[in-house]
Amino acid sequence: MRNNTKEPLIRIVKREGLKKRYIALLYAASVVIALGVGAILLFSLEANPGEYYKQMFTFGTINNRFAYLQYENYIKEFVPLLITSLALSLAFKMKFWNIGGEGQFLLGALAGATVAFMVPASTNQFVTIILMTLAGAVVGGLIGLLTSVLNVKFGTDETLFTLMLNYIALYIMMFFGETKAKWNIFLKTDSERPQFAKIPETGRMFKIQIGDFSLEISLIFTLLLVAFIFIYLTRTKHGYEISVVGDSINTARYSGMKVNKIICRTMFLSAALIGAAGALRVSSVESLSTSITNDVGWTGIIVAWLAKLNPIGIVIVTALITILQCGCVTASVSANNVDSHFADLLQGIILFIILAADFFIRFKIVIRKRNKSEKNTSEKEETV
Amino acid sequence: MSAIAVLTTFLFTVIKYNMALLYGTVGEIVTEKSGSLNLGVEGTMAIGGIGGLLVGCAFDNIFVGILASFICASLCGLLFAFLTVTLHANQNVTGLTITTFGLGLYFFIGNGFKASGKWPDMLSTEGFKRGTESLKIPLLNKIPVIGQALFSHSILIYLGIIISVLVWWYFKYTKPGLRIRAIGENPASADAVGVNITLYKYIHLMLGSGIMGIGGLLMAVNLSGSFEGSKCWINGYGWISIALVIFANWNTVAAIVGTLVFGLFNTLQVYGGSLSNAFPKLLGWLSKIPPQFMQALPFIITAIVLVVSSITNKKNNKPAAVGLNYYREDR
Repeated sequence: MRNNTKEPLIRIVKREGLKKRYIALLYAASVVIALGVGAILLFSLEANPGEYYKQMFTFGTINNRFAYLQYENYIKEFVPLLITSLALSLAFKMKFWNIGGEGQFLLGALAGATVAFMVPASTNQFVTIILMTLAGAVVGGLIGLLTSVLNVKFGTDETLFTLMLNYIALYIMMFFGETKAKWNIFLKTDSERPQFAKIPETGRMFKIQIGDFSLEISLIFTLLLVAFIFIYLTRTKHGYEISVVGDSINTARYSGMKVNKIICRTMFLSAALIGAAGALRVSSVESLSTSITNDVGWTGIIVAWLAKLNPIGIVIVTALITILQCGCVTASVSANNVDSHFADLLQGIILFIILAADFFIRFKIVIRKRNKSEKNTSEKEETV
Repeated sequence: MSAIAVLTTFLFTVIKYNMALLYGTVGEIVTEKSGSLNLGVEGTMAIGGIGGLLVGCAFDNIFVGILASFICASLCGLLFAFLTVTLHANQNVTGLTITTFGLGLYFFIGNGFKASGKWPDMLSTEGFKRGTESLKIPLLNKIPVIGQALFSHSILIYLGIIISVLVWWYFKYTKPGLRIRAIGENPASADAVGVNITLYKYIHLMLGSGIMGIGGLLMAVNLSGSFEGSKCWINGYGWISIALVIFANWNTVAAIVGTLVFGLFNTLQVYGGSLSNAFPKLLGWLSKIPPQFMQALPFIITAIVLVVSSITNKKNNKPAAVGLNYYREDR
């Protein structure tokens, strides 16, 4: 027997198992729409969108004798963003909101620089870089561990706690950068005003020379890391546990998993990787700075989300976002009325549209059938 | 400067340069009471600030500017509401994207106006500038020290206090206020008694963002509306506001006190030196504290408040359903 309440005209129901092909198409369309909106904005500033996008996507590598410099710069930006996004995706998979990437990165960088300044100058370059990375990982990891222990023991809100740590870390970095004192090993000794010094030779990134182009070994490390994370998430018990905790924490508990341990372990790994990325970044740019993160902690969240937390997806999205960022800096040189923050604007638009597109992947809209008898409404439903 | 003058200037500065925090905090409290965590305060304030300043200067009127900043920022709230309420997108990601997008748009618009030479000079826009000058409240401003410090501010400062008291009253004593609190605590029950959750959420998310936007305009006015390509006016105040919400325990009147406390630390890092010179015996120790520590203090305090309140399991006023999207068919 049906009651008298009418079904609403439009309602939404969950849907599952949309074909991957459609999803890819939907995402591609989202990017195209975002670029279209960007073109309108560019047009409003009387910049030529076609010219701007051409400059952006090639980021100054065409007809440029020094194109290899652009590629080197690209990799310098690509590596930290990729490691950070991958690391964040581990925590996000468990629905654990580590938005403290900025802070973990900064303190990892500080730890890495400390090692570089402390080890004897005769230390082997490889050994130093490895030590720096480990130091960054330990410091980052401990912060992650602190956050996750507080969360599982007392229920401290991890989103807000990691957010606070970001700023505490930033001011710690500022303190070292602005305080002239004997104990402060990070500063230039010959300058009146406090200024971060270059790290010693032994701590600088090892490069493999290919013609003019010099390849930083951190890229190789990063690509190995992608493979490791991919296997870790899809082929190991740990990876399985992470996905169960993320899907339903109660299911994980009832099936006897030690949920607290899984959360702490994964969060340690997530933050440790970000700390390591910070240390590698110091080694690569050869000096500390308060803006050393280049916002990877924030951008990483966008990347991880755009890639649906899939490691391979993250590589692709990072590659594209880095083009966007390097490209907008290059393109704004010739179009000087367009700010180089245009990259942020585009990223925002792309993500907004993809967040909207996600809706159509997760839900479908059902329109009430115009059937007056309303006998078999549940049998067939029009879907959009 | 005499010691009294230093103290007066100090208190005046605490209020003038930090009242924007109050707008951000009250806006975020309204947002969180409706059951949403909007991490886009920084971007929303930036958009409200630039929109309010440009429109306000074009019309040469501060009230038009305030209205414009409210409307521009509430459009960010509308975007947030559309994505999270209607399309069920994740609130954290949406909020962070509003920050990225908002700052991007801020620089895009600002640089565009600057490059084409159309950026308005606030100080030579007579009507607008007059609106930002201090209004001395008769009699009260004659009181030594606090008269100068408390009762001779611009209209934007008083407006912030008025809004936060009004919002407190709204949540405590009005019917829609009670309803929105119910939605923030338990949307399913509110839905069951027939409250239109979608409508309520849209209105309050837009209202909250709009209030944040006025704070952005205040920051712009404090910096004489000069645009720099390297640094945004808001400069992290949006994030401090999110911290302040916790410190103020989701109470907009407590947020006034919280703003003054956080503002004190913010100002001490600039004025600590002159205060310790003016009162060497009493405040001499101030010059020994690193200014970065002062700047970090709001965040350190908030982190401690977060941890302590969770350890002692003391009931705070955080709405229970903050951060969770409501989908009627989930049970």
